[in-house]
Amino acid sequence: MGDTYLDLMSSGAGAAIATRLGLPRPAPLRRYRPGVALLDGSALVLGGGPDADAIAQLLSGPPGGTGGVPDGWGLDVHRHAVPDERYAAVLVVLTDVTHPDQLAAPVLEAAATLKRLRPGGRVVTVSRPAHETDAPAVAAARQGVDGLLRSLAKELRGGATGNGVVVTDGVPVTAPSAVATLRFLLSTRSAFVDGQLVDVDLDAGELATDWDHPLAGRVAVVTGAARGIGAVVAEVLARDGARVVCVDVPAAGQGLAAVANRVRGTALQLDVTAPDAGDRILEHATSRHGGLHVMVHNAGITRDKLLANMTPDRWGSVMAVNLAAQLAINETLLTSGEFVDAPRIVATASTSGIAGNRGQTNYAASKAGIIGAVRATAPLLVPFGGTANAVAPGFIETDMTARMPALTRQVARRLSSLQQGGQPVDVAEAVAFLASPAAGGIVGRTLRVCGQSLVGR
Amino acid sequence: MSSPRPAYVLGGNRIPFARAGGPYAHASNLDMLTAALDGLVARFGLQGEVLGQVSAGAVLKHSRDFNLARQAVLGSPLSPRTPATDVQEACATGVETVVALANKIALGQLESGVAGGADSASDAPIVVGDRLRRALLDANRARTAPRRLAALARIRPKDLSPVAPRTDEPSTGLSMGEHQAITTARWGISRQAQDELALASHRNLAAAWDAGFFDDLVTSYQGLTRDGNLRPDTSLDKLAALPPVFGKRLDAPPTMTAGNSTPLTDGASTVLLGSAEWAAAHDLTPLAAVIDAEVAAVDFVHGEEGLLMAPVYAVPRLLARHGLTLDDFARIEIHEAFAATVLCTLEAWQSDELGRTRLELPGAFGTVPRDRLNVHGSSLAAGHPFAATGGRIVATLAKELHRLKASRASDEPVRGLVSVCAAGGLGIAAILEAA
Amino acid sequence: MSEDVVLATVPALGRLYARSLAATVRRSASRGAGAAPGALPDVCYAVHDVPVDTSRLAAYQALMGLRAADRLPAGFVHTVAFPLHVALMVRDDFPLAPAGLVHVANRVTQHRPLFRGDRLDVRVRAVGLRPHRSGTQLDLVAEVRRAGASDLAWEGVSTYLARGVRLAGTSGPEPVAGDARAAHPVVGERAPHDERPAAPADDRPTWRPPVPTASWRLGADTGRRYAEVSGDRNPVHLSRLTARLFGFRRPIAHGMYTAGRALADVGPAAGHTFVWTAEFTKPLLLPATVAVNVTAQDDGYAYTVWRPGAGHPYLTGEVRPLTADR
Repeated sequence: MGDTYLDLMSSGAGAAIATRLGLPRPAPLRRYRPGVALLDGSALVLGGGPDADAIAQLLSGPPGGTGGVPDGWGLDVHRHAVPDERYAAVLVVLTDVTHPDQLAAPVLEAAATLKRLRPGGRVVTVSRPAHETDAPAVAAARQGVDGLLRSLAKELRGGATGNGVVVTDGVPVTAPSAVATLRFLLSTRSAFVDGQLVDVDLDAGELATDWDHPLAGRVAVVTGAARGIGAVVAEVLARDGARVVCVDVPAAGQGLAAVANRVRGTALQLDVTAPDAGDRILEHATSRHGGLHVMVHNAGITRDKLLANMTPDRWGSVMAVNLAAQLAINETLLTSGEFVDAPRIVATASTSGIAGNRGQTNYAASKAGIIGAVRATAPLLVPFGGTANAVAPGFIETDMTARMPALTRQVARRLSSLQQGGQPVDVAEAVAFLASPAAGGIVGRTLRVCGQSLVGR
Repeated sequence: MSSPRPAYVLGGNRIPFARAGGPYAHASNLDMLTAALDGLVARFGLQGEVLGQVSAGAVLKHSRDFNLARQAVLGSPLSPRTPATDVQEACATGVETVVALANKIALGQLESGVAGGADSASDAPIVVGDRLRRALLDANRARTAPRRLAALARIRPKDLSPVAPRTDEPSTGLSMGEHQAITTARWGISRQAQDELALASHRNLAAAWDAGFFDDLVTSYQGLTRDGNLRPDTSLDKLAALPPVFGKRLDAPPTMTAGNSTPLTDGASTVLLGSAEWAAAHDLTPLAAVIDAEVAAVDFVHGEEGLLMAPVYAVPRLLARHGLTLDDFARIEIHEAFAATVLCTLEAWQSDELGRTRLELPGAFGTVPRDRLNVHGSSLAAGHPFAATGGRIVATLAKELHRLKASRASDEPVRGLVSVCAAGGLGIAAILEAA
Repeated sequence: MSEDVVLATVPALGRLYARSLAATVRRSASRGAGAAPGALPDVCYAVHDVPVDTSRLAAYQALMGLRAADRLPAGFVHTVAFPLHVALMVRDDFPLAPAGLVHVANRVTQHRPLFRGDRLDVRVRAVGLRPHRSGTQLDLVAEVRRAGASDLAWEGVSTYLARGVRLAGTSGPEPVAGDARAAHPVVGERAPHDERPAAPADDRPTWRPPVPTASWRLGADTGRRYAEVSGDRNPVHLSRLTARLFGFRRPIAHGMYTAGRALADVGPAAGHTFVWTAEFTKPLLLPATVAVNVTAQDDGYAYTVWRPGAGHPYLTGEVRPLTADR
């Protein structure tokens, strides 16, 4: 989907005009390609204590793993800001703060580096969640990180993002999911994830031995795969090494076949609302690919109408396709006894389901329902090393958004910290991350892929 | 060469069949065959696979498509090292490709193959007339300018009009419909019986679509998601209101209408075949084994038998070889070139006289139970893109047999019979058995 | 002993037609219509060592829907002999006006196959001048042998009718089987006053059309296309304008063209040696789509050509394989 405004503002003349007028200046985002270096410059790890040390060691250690750290990423890591250095990433490790006063030193040291952050740079906080059982000062300090990060992210420019990893007490910062989240947020896979705090709940999951193919050996099913985000999800999962079953309604068969052939997977034509959809998905995946590990619920429809004008058909069809179908399929999978090898469910929610959207009561209800559904489903999978999570896309450049009125579309694009719409691949990267074996410690969460949209959290 | 082993139908894929001049008006045979192949590859995950052989054909064929099947392979995600062969046997093309590949698999010459066919009545080849063609070829061969001019000077304005292909029988100049009308009159098939068969075809096909039976047999194409000729809401009254189109010059009252005849259709189909070993290695479940086949031909040129009656002879010979009767088949697929073709075939098999005099049997060959006949609809409803019909029938039947066997507790063989008539007085029959 | 006129080459038909018209005019002037003819000239026209015109052969085969094979179609051999028919008819001592002769029947016996490499000896003579209820009939008998061979390869008997012409010594028409309003002028004849099907005569059963086994679409140019491959440019077949000169609204199909198509429809089942007969009962106006029936009989095949809806056939005949060498 072309964004001519972005193209114009990225040009020399356009940039000059934008500066004068105070117009938004979106930066082209760099996106992931297999084999490309994790960072294109040095990383700065701030904060004291063993967690910061462990993270610094993880980043700087040699690939292949040494000592207690399973793998090193071979980065050039500084523990204190070097003047005039242009950092590609700044990590602020705040896991051991017990009082808000302790935030000042690492935060202000990071602040000094921000003006020279490289284009597409990364600022990542690592912290612990605030609980009602915490001492008030501890909870205040921990919760303070939330406001700090979200505001910081809004100040970054040039395609840089700010995100945080929130590691539950008792889970080491080197837990597989913490490490994988950190890497995801540092990498270009998270190009359109901004202003988000990702919770790591368990010391579970398994780190990839090959970071370019974290899904090697896994069988994934993607519904709604014939086009749009679903098609790209299928491609990204396949790129990451998964064998992909592409599912869509028979009417979308031609597009589905093209996607399946592109990703060297198989096409399974079915309506996810059919009573036997779960059985057929499971049968296909197990008989043809020897198992089912990842279920991506991406199929969704919109039937927008103000609630005052809502019809039973519009309400019912959206709820059936977007929510009821995946509940039924999940139940089939969970009771089958076949979905037990570190299973992953990744559902596609929406920022509409978080912030609401005028004219989308049915859609938002279904998408919010998904957020609730994964929260309740994930614990059921944990005994098998599994989990369920959701992604919540914001404004993504798809056929669906291309049908919006031009002005509305332009405005919607700018209503985020990154000042542009995301690409389907941005959603797909988040799905792939949550589908990976390393994400087993992220339980029932919803990851926003919205460029830090101004609406919602 | 090893001893024969079973060859299995592993699945199929076709595009929805479209009425000529409709959604596929600008799609060529190659476009459609490639699309059907794309869908098959996607369904079975055969990207990059080197298959044993792809065998396919078209009846209305452009000369540029001399390697239609091979070009389709090259345009598909299959490995470019997959060999391909063109076959042409009128409306029997599709079944013939299935039989040929199954035989090769049985003999151990192949491990896997794709049979198929495509036909576009919309994108039919138009050629120049013989006189213009000969003049142009002579001019091309001429070595001197004056001779070239002399050759070209033979061209007359009327030679320039293009020649559309005819589906008339080359030997007789009669259209297939006119031929069938003669046979229809000979067997005294009523208009109502034909309309009832057509209605059953539409109802059965519509029910199969509604039940999702074709979810893993068809892949949508160019916006068409179901067979374009299907009229789920047709009725005997509507069919009875149609004017006759064939047999109007015969003594008997004409009975054949656009409603109980197949329309000109565009479409393509494919069938995946393989040995048990190949299927297992690719995690595929055999649906049905291709047991045997028989071709036959009748002398319609000298009026001895109706043009489309060859299956009447092929089936009894085929069944005799296996000691089977019509009662031994759970499902029987008789291609509905015309409703009357099916009904004439059934009548002929029930005729004592024909059984004795033509089939060399003690009496009538047998009766086809109507509840086993074309249970998911056939060409009257689906349409009939000539070379694509065989693939449609074989894949549909194989799936149905497999489903039937799975639903039955016993180990009794579940057999299906295929019978397809073809231009040129040809016919082909095949036996499938649920795997 | 008959006189043999041996021609150096097969004569050109165009010049013969001109002479035939002149001969017709001469005879009309010397005797009134219906005047009694004399005897047939006791003469045999012959051409020896005629090579097969292979390009004309290929054109004939293509027009008839025959394969381009080496064996000469029986109808093609007729076109080789036909110019000698005309040469004989335009003789001053030929008793009937050529332009008044109608080709009513033809019978070809292919005794031995002939091939494109063969050189042909062709002999034509007129025999059997006889009364007919509509006038006077005679046969032109053509014999074709491979050059230098003594055994007969191909024999054609073409029966012509001079309508309304009485033989000397007979007073009225003799009862003859078949339809006297026969129809294929050799050189051109004034048409009967209409071409509508006549009501069947009381003494003949009502004709019922058989079940068609084939259909021919005969375009308006059918006569011209046959003329090109046969050399027989009889104007009655060529165009609307030229047909009008002979009283037909439209050009009529050449009898030997339709008979040739029928032989082709019987196909290889005829074998290499056979008897092939044709009775031309009505003129077939072009263009036309006609129904054809070919039926197996005990000893061969019968064929009928008719227009659906018409109460009569245009052409009937048989093809009987000769069993001796089958």
